[in-house]
Amino acid sequence: MLSDPGMRKYLVGWALFGVALLLFPQVATSGTLRIFIFANFIAIFAMSWDILSGRTGYISFGHPFLIGIAAYTSAMLTYHLQTPLYFSIPLGVIATMVGGTLFFLPALRIRGTYFALVTLAFMELMYQLTQVMRPDITGGTRGLSGLPTLLTGALPNYYLSSAVMFVIAFCLWLLIRTRLGTALSAISMDEDAVKSSGLDTTKLKLFAFMVSAFVAGVGGTLYVHYLGSIAPRAIFDINFLFTILIAALLGGASTIIGPIMGAFFLTFLLEYLRPYIPGTERYFIYGSIALIVYVLEPKGLHHIIQRLYGALMRGKQA
Amino acid sequence: MSPLLELRNITKRFGGLTAVNELSYHVEEGESLGLIGPNGAGKTTTFNLIMDEFQLTSGQIIYRGTNIEKLPTHKRVQEGIVRTYQVPRPFHEMPVSDNIRIGMMPENIGKMIAEAPDPDAEMAIARSVGFGEREFAMYPGELSMGDLRRLELARTIAAGPKLLLLDEVFAGLTVAEIGQITELLLEKRKDGLTYIIVSHDLRSLAPLVDRVVAMSFGALLSEGSFDEVLADEKVQEAYLGT
Amino acid sequence: MTHIIIQGLLLSGLYALIAVGFTMIFSVGRVLNLAYGVYIMLGGYIYFQCVQVWHLPKAVGFVMAVAAGVAFAVATYQLLVRRLENNPVAVEISTLILAVVMQALIVMIYGAASRTMWPLVNGVWRIEGVAVTYNILIATVASWFILGGLMWFVHKTHLGRAIMAVSMDRKGAMVSGIDPRRISLITWAISGGLGAIAGVFFATYTQLDPSMWVGPLIIAVAVVVIGGIGSIVGSLIVAHLIGFMETITTSLLAAELRGVFTMLLIIIVLIVTPKGLFGREEL
Repeated sequence: MLSDPGMRKYLVGWALFGVALLLFPQVATSGTLRIFIFANFIAIFAMSWDILSGRTGYISFGHPFLIGIAAYTSAMLTYHLQTPLYFSIPLGVIATMVGGTLFFLPALRIRGTYFALVTLAFMELMYQLTQVMRPDITGGTRGLSGLPTLLTGALPNYYLSSAVMFVIAFCLWLLIRTRLGTALSAISMDEDAVKSSGLDTTKLKLFAFMVSAFVAGVGGTLYVHYLGSIAPRAIFDINFLFTILIAALLGGASTIIGPIMGAFFLTFLLEYLRPYIPGTERYFIYGSIALIVYVLEPKGLHHIIQRLYGALMRGKQA
Repeated sequence: MSPLLELRNITKRFGGLTAVNELSYHVEEGESLGLIGPNGAGKTTTFNLIMDEFQLTSGQIIYRGTNIEKLPTHKRVQEGIVRTYQVPRPFHEMPVSDNIRIGMMPENIGKMIAEAPDPDAEMAIARSVGFGEREFAMYPGELSMGDLRRLELARTIAAGPKLLLLDEVFAGLTVAEIGQITELLLEKRKDGLTYIIVSHDLRSLAPLVDRVVAMSFGALLSEGSFDEVLADEKVQEAYLGT
Repeated sequence: MTHIIIQGLLLSGLYALIAVGFTMIFSVGRVLNLAYGVYIMLGGYIYFQCVQVWHLPKAVGFVMAVAAGVAFAVATYQLLVRRLENNPVAVEISTLILAVVMQALIVMIYGAASRTMWPLVNGVWRIEGVAVTYNILIATVASWFILGGLMWFVHKTHLGRAIMAVSMDRKGAMVSGIDPRRISLITWAISGGLGAIAGVFFATYTQLDPSMWVGPLIIAVAVVVIGGIGSIVGSLIVAHLIGFMETITTSLLAAELRGVFTMLLIIIVLIVTPKGLFGREEL
């Protein structure tokens, strides 16, 4: 597989991407690095969303639910029990995967719009529960702050988040190039036809859900220990969902590079707008752009760029 | 010798509507059975029941001597029962090669990841239904109706069938295409495949089948050789009358 | 006990009005319009702008609110939904994005802080020891009238019957010479207007807030999910179910838990009986 010339071209691309991430701090200020850290996390979350929703077509409106389970588990363990991070982070990831199974149950019976609604209900439920149930443990509406951080300073955090993002992206890319990737994409096209090709769609879906939950768990725990604080409105929130969803869709769902592109585009646009519009109003412009792109080309920027590139190449030949 | 597949008094009711009523028939290994009947006779429903796409209201489906009631669709496929659809259902956003690949997947997810696909085997299946390199890379949207039927066959063959359920394989095809598909099916029969073929097109069905079952209103009407069944007054009445 | 019944009835009436516009779009187009909450928010803010900023008469505020709701709903349908009509999931995603965009727009204009709406009518009515503000009473009674009028419209007028026809059988309606797109557009317009009215009432009942679209949207979603493809009567029943459930939770358990049960109900109904309590077609 690695000797395949088509594969080699892609590997060169990945290597270049890796080197670019590695060298970037040489030319960037620590402010820019912090923007990149945020972009990396959004990219991780968007990839997590994409492996479930972009691939299998089961649209999740509740991804913050998964991320939040990871973040809250690790946050509460470290805050109340002083659990060391190397212990709380894996536990957070495991908790997310358990949560992912919970998410998976409705997917056994419902599809399409109703599945999206159930996941949205999960997220809202969690938002309310964290405030109402035992606020002494969850920190209630105000959340928890002063959580231990993994690393301090922009540069180490930049390297960590970039490395995690890169490794996740590369692994997912390898995964979707296997026959499993083909099978998952087929589910989004015609699930019943996949069954009548002799494949156990339940098992396939469960696998996709678990991978998605794992990535969300890794991203969520690292994110909370980068920020050092957590609050229900920052996690179980439609605006947070919106950021993830848009990153994946704007870049191009069911590609690996799409969600990464979307996340970086989003973060830079928001930062670029900051001097002109300082508050959350920036979402108005960002959301409008995303909406227009989505309605005109649901396959996203990735597809638009590919088409432009294709047209350009044809133009040259002519 | 016991039959390959035997339906025993199968019944399917949708609310008050009985789509299949106490239907029994069987098919021997290596045999080719035609299933005919007017529109709404319950032929496709029978296929859906055999594949567990609909659940039986009552009755039994015996495959190779065992009741397969508890097997979900994909297990039945793995056991060798595969069907085609009246309206072909390819994966539209995948080239022909990937469509065939889906049928050839190993059962185990670990193997799906670890084992590389086998393009040569996929190509061999594509060739066996008459596709060349060009069609292999094409998308379903670019194929003719005849080629879509071929793709359906390729996908089912990829799944390694023992018993093929063919639903209206000739619908929407030109005379030339019908000839090609017939030839292909006859060819595949030599490999020991068993068929149940549903068709409205009796003339095209005739050379393909050893025996025919006629249905009307979900129940068995007549059974026997092609000529016997067509000569049956009840069958003629069902097709022409009312 | 009396207290629960009175509060429950009042809240349910408002919820029924909130839900009915959403249900109509769903039954005619089989799409879930997640921007529906925006009509409610828009209704509230436009009324606020007219009455409390420009000091126009309340009636003018109402008319402007309804006009804005209708205009915005029509724009949503023409610019977004029509392009994506054969893909319900895409409609759901794009209307959700639209809702967040509109929320950002409201923050841009009015800021992120909540605003208080003056009651439509001042005063309190006491019955059986229960204090009921005239405001919520007016809102509920008006809801009943509007819902009654809507039922009359749907069952007795030609246009209403055409809407019913499309919601029952789109193809059949087309064969009978009804243009389903036109009917859809009209339904969206009505839905926008109803949403805006509900928004004015809802805002006087709670307050104006840029994220006020989420709560009513969830109630509307719950009504559709639990009730299945709605007749208006079905929506009324489920709206009362939720209204009373929330009132009982608020008065017997804790006010904060009220949304929790609505959410649990959505999840349980969708998982246990994917067809909804009153049956629905597959999406």
